[in-house]
Amino acid sequence: MTQDNAETELMGKLRRATHQAPAEQIASELTSLGRAPVPALPAQELCEAFLINVLKNQGTINCAANRSEAVKAIASYLHERFHTRKLVAGNDPRLAAMPWRDGGVLPRFGAAEKDPALAPTSASLSYARLGVAETGSIVTFTGKSNPAANNLLVEDHIVLLDVADLVANLDDAWQTINSIQDEEGRPRGVNFISGPSSTADIDAQLVMGAHGPRAWHVILMGDIPDAAMANARGYIEKRLDAL
Amino acid sequence: MTAVEEELGSRAFKSNVRASLKETEKVKRRDMLGLFMPMIRDAAVKDFDGFEELRQHVKQIKQHSLDNLHHYLSQFVQEAQNNGNHVHFAQDSSEMNSIVLDICQQHDARRIIKGKSMVTEETHLLPHLEKAGMQVIETDLGEYIIQQAGETPSHIVGPALHKSVDEIRELFLQKHALGERELQGPAEMVAEARTVLREHFLKADVGIIGSNALIAESGYSMLVTNEGNGDLCANLPRVMIICTTMDRVVPRAKDAMSLLRLLVRSATGQPVTCYTSFYTGPRREGDTDGPIETHIVLLDNKRSDILASDYREMLQCIRCAACLNHCPIYIGVGGHAYGSVYMGPMGSVLTPLLTSLEESNALPNACTACGRCAEVCPASIPLPDLLRDLRHDETRAKLSPTRWRLGMKIHAWLLCHPWLYHKSTALGMPVLGWLGRKKGSFKSLLLANGWTDERDFPAPQGRTFMQQYQPDRDENNDAG
Repeated sequence: MTQDNAETELMGKLRRATHQAPAEQIASELTSLGRAPVPALPAQELCEAFLINVLKNQGTINCAANRSEAVKAIASYLHERFHTRKLVAGNDPRLAAMPWRDGGVLPRFGAAEKDPALAPTSASLSYARLGVAETGSIVTFTGKSNPAANNLLVEDHIVLLDVADLVANLDDAWQTINSIQDEEGRPRGVNFISGPSSTADIDAQLVMGAHGPRAWHVILMGDIPDAAMANARGYIEKRLDAL
Repeated sequence: MTAVEEELGSRAFKSNVRASLKETEKVKRRDMLGLFMPMIRDAAVKDFDGFEELRQHVKQIKQHSLDNLHHYLSQFVQEAQNNGNHVHFAQDSSEMNSIVLDICQQHDARRIIKGKSMVTEETHLLPHLEKAGMQVIETDLGEYIIQQAGETPSHIVGPALHKSVDEIRELFLQKHALGERELQGPAEMVAEARTVLREHFLKADVGIIGSNALIAESGYSMLVTNEGNGDLCANLPRVMIICTTMDRVVPRAKDAMSLLRLLVRSATGQPVTCYTSFYTGPRREGDTDGPIETHIVLLDNKRSDILASDYREMLQCIRCAACLNHCPIYIGVGGHAYGSVYMGPMGSVLTPLLTSLEESNALPNACTACGRCAEVCPASIPLPDLLRDLRHDETRAKLSPTRWRLGMKIHAWLLCHPWLYHKSTALGMPVLGWLGRKKGSFKSLLLANGWTDERDFPAPQGRTFMQQYQPDRDENNDAG
């Protein structure tokens, strides 16, 4: 059977099996279903709630008041993990404008190593489009400013997030993404990342570093309440003590 | 399960069950799974106050999507094409397999990497591509393990959970030519698989993935994974193919978010997976990576018939496997016994609908009607009702054994005449009680070997239930 036939046949069957309401009626029926309930946040303050959930997702956290502090935080992470000053970052104008000299970081703008004969890139940096407190996720758009390889093919994935780009939940995230798309068009990929790559496929035991990054480090940048990071760590410690 | 055993499909259910119950170690693993998986799901559900309310909301969204599927699927196809995708329709498994093979051949593909997709398991896509000389590598760790072992998935979320750490260690030592090494524990094994699979990811020509939701308003396809393997399949090779079905369509991105909140909690007890990705289409000008060409293949395989039938609710299924983890039959016999890609309660409904009741009528009978599956199903599918309806169909189509149907007919007739039922039991019980008076139980009993093969049947003592209950009821009625 040719493709056109398969499509005509299937669409015909669907037409007979479903309601044939006009589009406006379908849209109003959908609206009448109302809003979905969303999970409560673990803390009232948004930064704290986000940081708690990043930690729950096995990520590590840091906060920086401004871009210079952020570069210094990146430098100390790179030194601690790999004794290096190098990282790879997408061609994002916001990243190009960072004061790299303040921390002595040497970024290469482009994509992570894809040659199987060479060692994988140690660390990449993404400038997140959004952060989601509900799930402790960051959102990147695939493209020149953030090649997909940088999210996936590196050992450690470092993410920088502006506190102004933090939203409460997944529904709010899509509202923002949809309005960005109205201006910039639809990106090829929208990626919600919530932790380092992991698997429990062997004996139901959780192991980090399945196919993607083994570690995930989130730096929240901007006007952040002083106690947010300490409170988030305290919350996780209390939970661990309770177990 | 080997390919030959799978050929027999669910016809062999009963003999598969007998064999699987004898695998002592596997029985223990399944019992652990039956305790552990419900525990992590319960904890995640308790953490989210609105879970039940969300469940009702998603049920309404899914029903609305199915009621208007023609509208939403048309919208999805239009948007997906606008995004630069090639959209294909496949009426059955062989059509899907040929469409995918054609795409691979057009691009002279030799190496193919695959993310987890139940749809491609359903169509047996992998052997079809391999027969044409292509190398196809499963990249989800669980799928990779069973591919190396030459087996099929035993669970729709954790396909290799039936295998022990030692079995996987032996398998890797045998299959990966990496010399002498200890390979102790899951962490080392995961690291080894990571190295082996990384090379496959980087050299592949085509990536094949599934989809957790198709979003009508934007033409996006949602992919939910923890490993990131699906995203590597979607981003590294020059061609990407999404194999999916039309019942994945939801109207808006926020509906996909609602579904995600239920799916992940129900499947793995997490609030969200590590990677939740939305793909529109091919790479844009100036992009440094991403596929040059993207295809979406929509498989029907009788789903349009299910949509038009009384079993429409089954299309609400979001493939979380909570019903498997909570089913005493699934935990007892394991996924391979079902002889089907889909197993447990959802599989026992879906398999007869996708194949035929003639072939798979054993599956709807593999149910104790305990109702746990319906209690935990995030899509509110009345699984026990659908299983009962399939058994009803089975009886009407005279597919069950004649002796069984005759017995049921007599039983039904007796129940339709309560006075006769009460009289005959009132006469029968004392006789049985007298026969078993010495031992107090029966080691075997005519017409009830199924019971007595496993345990003794206690001899009735005293009067029947109705004989004891009736005087009380009459007294209460008088008092009332």
